[in-house]
Parts: sequence; C-alpha cells; structure tokens
Amino acid sequence: MSTAAKNFPVVSGSAAPAFRTSPAGAPGGGRKARTPLSVVRSAPAKRRAPFVVLCFALLAVALVTVLVLNISVSTAQYQLVELRSKQSTLTKQNQDLTQQVQNFEAPQNLAAKATALGMVPSTVKGQIDLSTLSVTGKATPAVQGGAVGAIIPPPAVAGLLAVVPPVNAADPAASRKPAGKDPAAAPAAASEGAPGQNPGGPPAQTPAAHAASAPAPGPSVELHGGSIPAPEQKAPGQ
Amino acid sequence: MAQSTGKAKSGKVPNARKRLRLGLGIMLTLLLVVGGKLFLVQGLDVGGMAEAALNKRMKETVLPAERGSILDANGTVLANSVIRYNVVVDQTVNTKTDKFQRLETVDGKEKLVDVTRDQGISELASALGMATEDVRKAVTGNQRYYIVAKDLKPDVEDRVTKLLVPGVGTEGVSKRVYPNGSVAGGIVGFLQDGTTGQAGIEQTQDGILKGTDGKRLFETGADGLRIPVGMDQLTPPQNGKDVKLTINSDIQYFAQQAIQSQSDKQGAEWGTIVVMDAKTGNLIAMADTNAPDPNDPGRVAAKDRGVRAVTAAYEPGSVEKMITAASAIEEGTSSPLDRFTIPPTYTVDNQTFSDAFTHGTEQRTLAGIIGYSMNTGTVMVGQRLSKEKRHDWLQKFGIGQAPDIGLPAEAAGILTPADQWDDRQQYTVLFGQGVSQSTVQTVRAYQSIANDGVMLQPRLIDGFVNADGTEEKTPVQDSRQVVSKNTAQQMRDILESAVTEGEIKDAAIDGYRVGAKTGTSESPCDDGKPGYCGYTASIVGMAPMDDPRFIVEVILQRPQGNIYGITNGPVFRSVMSQVLRTYNVQPSTGTPARLPQYAK
Repeated sequence: MSTAAKNFPVVSGSAAPAFRTSPAGAPGGGRKARTPLSVVRSAPAKRRAPFVVLCFALLAVALVTVLVLNISVSTAQYQLVELRSKQSTLTKQNQDLTQQVQNFEAPQNLAAKATALGMVPSTVKGQIDLSTLSVTGKATPAVQGGAVGAIIPPPAVAGLLAVVPPVNAADPAASRKPAGKDPAAAPAAASEGAPGQNPGGPPAQTPAAHAASAPAPGPSVELHGGSIPAPEQKAPGQ
Repeated sequence: MAQSTGKAKSGKVPNARKRLRLGLGIMLTLLLVVGGKLFLVQGLDVGGMAEAALNKRMKETVLPAERGSILDANGTVLANSVIRYNVVVDQTVNTKTDKFQRLETVDGKEKLVDVTRDQGISELASALGMATEDVRKAVTGNQRYYIVAKDLKPDVEDRVTKLLVPGVGTEGVSKRVYPNGSVAGGIVGFLQDGTTGQAGIEQTQDGILKGTDGKRLFETGADGLRIPVGMDQLTPPQNGKDVKLTINSDIQYFAQQAIQSQSDKQGAEWGTIVVMDAKTGNLIAMADTNAPDPNDPGRVAAKDRGVRAVTAAYEPGSVEKMITAASAIEEGTSSPLDRFTIPPTYTVDNQTFSDAFTHGTEQRTLAGIIGYSMNTGTVMVGQRLSKEKRHDWLQKFGIGQAPDIGLPAEAAGILTPADQWDDRQQYTVLFGQGVSQSTVQTVRAYQSIANDGVMLQPRLIDGFVNADGTEEKTPVQDSRQVVSKNTAQQMRDILESAVTEGEIKDAAIDGYRVGAKTGTSESPCDDGKPGYCGYTASIVGMAPMDDPRFIVEVILQRPQGNIYGITNGPVFRSVMSQVLRTYNVQPSTGTPARLPQYAK
C-alpha cells in the first residue's frame, strides 16, 4: 500500500519535472479522515455445498441429455438411411414386378399362353337377351386345330422373357405364397391345401394325415437348415 | 521509473512526439488504404471477385422430369419409362488393382476376404451374363469412363453392386418400355436416342409427354461437400403428362391379328382395319400389317412403321357409291326405290362404263345398284347432279380434308377441283376412282350416315392425365350436319339391304343387323409407272343397324389373284362381332330392311 502511494505521482505524470516528486514514504497528509472500519458479521456459508452439487447434477443431466439426443439423432439417421435404401429397393422391385405383370398381360403373350394351354378361339357366338328371353345366333363349339391366325410377335422388352414360360401345373399359387407366417396359421393354411407351407415333408392330403403331421415340425418360418428359429427383434409399436 | 525519467532528461521529448504522430499517421493511412480496398472488394465488388467466387462454389444439378406414359382407353400401359442401369468402369482403377477386399459370410461369420482381380472379373461376367474375356477387355485400359453393359434390370444391378469390383459402378438411366410391343406399335411410335419422339404419338405429343426438367442450385466447398448455410435453390421438375388414347388394346390386337392373317393368306402388300365408335368418333382400333414393335422398331421396314389408316391415301373404289347415293337422296334427285333401266354397258359423253359382272339390261332400284355395286347405275344416278354438286358433296363428306387425330403425316387425299376433272374423271369419282382418300376419311364419311347425318371428327387422343390423376379431355372438334336424319336413315336401309338382299351376305352377323358396302378399286402403280398394278379390296360396314354403334373398315392393298372387296367379308364379320361382344351391345331389335334390288 505504501509503495503504491509512493509511486502514484510519478506514474500519473511521467512528463512532470522530477523535482516535484514527493518525498518517498510520505503519506498524503491532507486527506480526509477515513470512516473507521468495523467488523461486519457475515451470514454463515453453510448452504453452499448443495448448490454446487445441484450445479454438477445439472451439468451432468445436460451432458447426458445432449448425449442421448445425439445418440437418438444418429440412430434416426441410420434408420433413415436404411429406410431410404429399403424404399429404393422396394421401388425397384415394384417396377420390376409391374413390368412382369405387363408382360404377362400383353395380348400376344396372353394368346400364346392360352394356345399353350390348349385353348382355341371361338368363332361363332350366340346371344341371349334376358329382357325378351330370345336366343340369337347359333353358338357353335370351337374346333381344336382349326385355322390358326397369324402370330403377332411378343413385345421385345429387353430383359423380359420373350416366350411366356409354362405354368407350374401343380399349384401356381403356392410358389407365390410368402414363406414365413404366423405359426398358428400353419395348420389352418395346410388344411386349405397349401403344400407350399410344408416344403420338407410330404404334402398333407387327408385330414387324418394332416392331423398327424401338424404337431410334427412343419416349419413355417425359415430355419436356414437348422431346427431352432432364430431370435427375432420385436418390431417397434408391437 | 528510472528509465523513463532518464529519457525525459535526455531532452528528446519533442522528437518522440513527432515520431509518434508520424507513426500514427502512417498507421491511419494504411488503415485507410486497407479500409478502402475492403470497401471496394466487399461493398462495390470491383472486378467481380465475389461473383467469381460464388460461381466457383455454385453447383447446378439437373433434376430430370419423368416422361409421361401412353395409355389405352382402359388404362392399359402402352408406353412408360422405367429405371435401367448401365455398368460403367474406371479402367485405370481396375487395371492397377490386383486384389481387393470384400466382406463375406464364411461359416456364418462375416469377415473380410481377399478377392483377386481375375476372380472379380469372372464374377462380374457371370452376373452380367457376358463372356469373361469380353469383360476383361472392357475393364482393362486407361480410360476413366467406359460402359461395360447397358440397360440392366434392377436385380442385376444389385448383384453387380454387391461384387464391389474396384472401379466398377452403376448409373441409372431412364428407359422407354412398350409392354404391348407391336400391338398399337405404329400408333404409339418410338423415341430417338431414348429422349425425343420420332414417330406416332411419341412424336406429336412430345412436348406434353416430356415435361420440364427441374434443377437444384447449391454451394459447395473445396472438398465438394454442400455448404449447409449456403444458397440452395430448388426448382422441382414438372413431370410429363400421360396421354390417354381412345384405342382398346384388346380390339387392336384382335384386328391386327385378323388383318395380318388375311394379308398373309391373300399375299397382299399391306392391310388395314379401322374400328370407330360412331357415337363419339373415337377410334377404337387402327390395325396395320407388320406393325412395328417400338421396343425395336428397326425390325420392320421403314414403310411399315407408320399408321396406314391415316398416312395411306388410295382410290377407295365402290365404297364411294354411298356418297353418290346419299347426295342424290338429299338433293331429291333419287330415292332408294327409284327405278333405273340399266344396259350391259352405259355410255355417256363418249365414256363407256361397265360393271364387275356381266348382265343384260336390268330393271334396278337405287338400293339394287348399291347392293350389287354397279358402276353403270351409279353413273346414271350421279349424272343427275352437276359436276360442281358432285365435287361439293364429296367435300361435304370430308374427302380432301385431312382428319386431325394427332398422328404424323395424316393424308388429306386428292380431290381435284371440279373444273379440272376430265370427261371420264367427272363420272369415275362417283364410284371412287380418280379421287383418293385415307381409310379414316372413308370411315368418317360412313360415320356421318351411322350418326343420323352428323359428322363427328375422329378422335385418337382422349385426354391427358395430370400428375395428380385428374384427366383433361381433349376438346371435341366441331361436328357438322352433312345430310338430314331422314336421308341418313334411307341410306342405312340401302346399306343393310346390300347385306340382306344384295351381294354382301358374307358380312351378316347372327343376332345383329349389319349394313355394309364393299369396294374393289384399281390401284395405280407406285413409283410413277403408268397404268394399274393390282386392286385395293375393301369392305366398310356398321352395326347394329337399329342404332349404329360401330364402324369397321377392312382394307387389303394389292392382294394376289382375283380378289374382291367381298373376300374381306369374313374378316369384317369376325372383327365386328368381337367389337359388339366386347362392348356388350344389345342384339338388334326390329325388322331388318330388305329393299328390293330389282324393280318389278
């Protein structure tokens, strides 16, 4: 304190003449008398610890919240990417299947398929008028091996089958059924005559044979060659 | 403190002050210079620095618009665009990489597996279904971009992507697909280079189908990543509209097969079948022989790639006699039971006309002249009108006026002005020689008779389907009353009598009343040769006659041998009965018209 007081004038006026410097150690004699100091009793600092703990807790909570938010955002991102790719795959698949359907629906392919199945176009048709109950025209049965019309070439869409492949005569619907289904539905489905549900064993034909085979491992889920179904993750919202 | 007092004592105080001021001055000047420059660069942008920088950061990507589909009347897709993939390779990368790693499942565990370049190439070859050597050739070299395979389906693309062969990637391209192939192929048309329509509807409706490309403008940093806070302008693409036709693809197929069979059997140059809805003018089918498959139009000759129903104008022959008879009835100069004495040949103005069959002098009705398609009688009926009247009546029935149905190269035919007709032509036009027209024009003339004398313009484009599924119908063109309702009814009776009493019994369909007219005309030679080369055989008819709903015309150009229009009768019958059944038309009621063909 005293040194500061001693240096004060010098610092404040570096350009002042040196002789005006006050003698060292002389306190300002002309100052006002200070208000006498007294001891003030302060409040005891006993409640500080909980506050600090609270602060730390808040900090920790904030950090954890940020962390959780971060994790959820990044998980959502992964999900988004996954769903996007799923969407694009499904779009592609959909387009592919639509094209196949269109190919099957093309009149020339339909006609070729009908011919392959032994169908022949009818030539003479008859009409029944329900309001007058009159029959006009002489409908004659179509003749097998009659005059075959010119063949319109099938559409030359790249990558699609040029000729419609013969249908699987056994059960065309079975091959299109989805493999994995609710196990409880399996016996019911089997009794409806869907051998596609039971690829390994012989197809259940009589109810008795079906009853016997029902408790047997009729795998309705894809086991990939094993005997125990793989654990499944619960889908959200179930 | 000691130093500062020392300095002060050295007596250089004024100097220091000067130096300080000088320094301050320099500083301020520099600051002014820098500030000025800053103002120039930031505020005024002299020299376009900011613009140049923005341009450097700015990237533009084109968002391609999807080309609209072409649909038939029932919504069956005749043309649409799908995604296909090209497999491309950076040859430099692939050539220098001898070995690469790939995550594979081995014994139920995923692990990284080393794959040699040879193995990668052979795997790629088997996925693409190409020879290994071809693939090796394609991926070896020093080109940065090379197309290995084109137009792959998504499942193949998926397999190729999973192989992770270095340098090999896939890129999506839009590909036009025509699921029905050559059924209505000529009408639908095809694209050039996969983008611009070159024929048919694809050509004429190109602007509507194409849509407008969108674009995205955004700023990228030096690392090529988008700057999140930078500019981002998105102009979404406007996809093309779908074009909906009036064609029924099932009928179209049936007609195409029928005309192809008939043309093959008779050895004709070409054939055409047109089916029209008489109530609306909608064209339900326009079948051509050797129709192109738009997926690969090069398979058929260039002359077969159009739609002959509108592009080919030819001399129609006896089907034109309907116009002569209808105009005579409308003008009041004749009537269906009007009596004519017809000699074996008929000579007028030194021009002699004969018939397709030999006969003595006969007493005929007007119905009998049409029913037996007699040129002699038709000239006798037609000469009651002046040349100008004959010309005007042809014009009223739409001869010489091209239909506007939205296909390229629609023929108007040739109807020479009446004062340019020579002595013979003024009579031959009465039975369809010396005048040319397209099949759709003939069908349009018959449509006005079927529709109580009101001619509707034929329609092929039914409407446009917007992206939101709403449909805009194309406006209906003006209709006009050609003949009175009464005349149309009398003309229909004559046409029906031609089937019930006349020569066209082959056109009859059980359960439905049919009216028809055949035509066999001499066909002038192509490429400027004089004279005639073969015949054009045609039959046009309508059903059911109690309330005509459909018109069908069958044309066969230059069949081999002695072929007449009536030869096409069974084809007409099968197409017409198929159409009647498809549209669930009620069987006819009432008594069929049986006008006597001979006058008693």
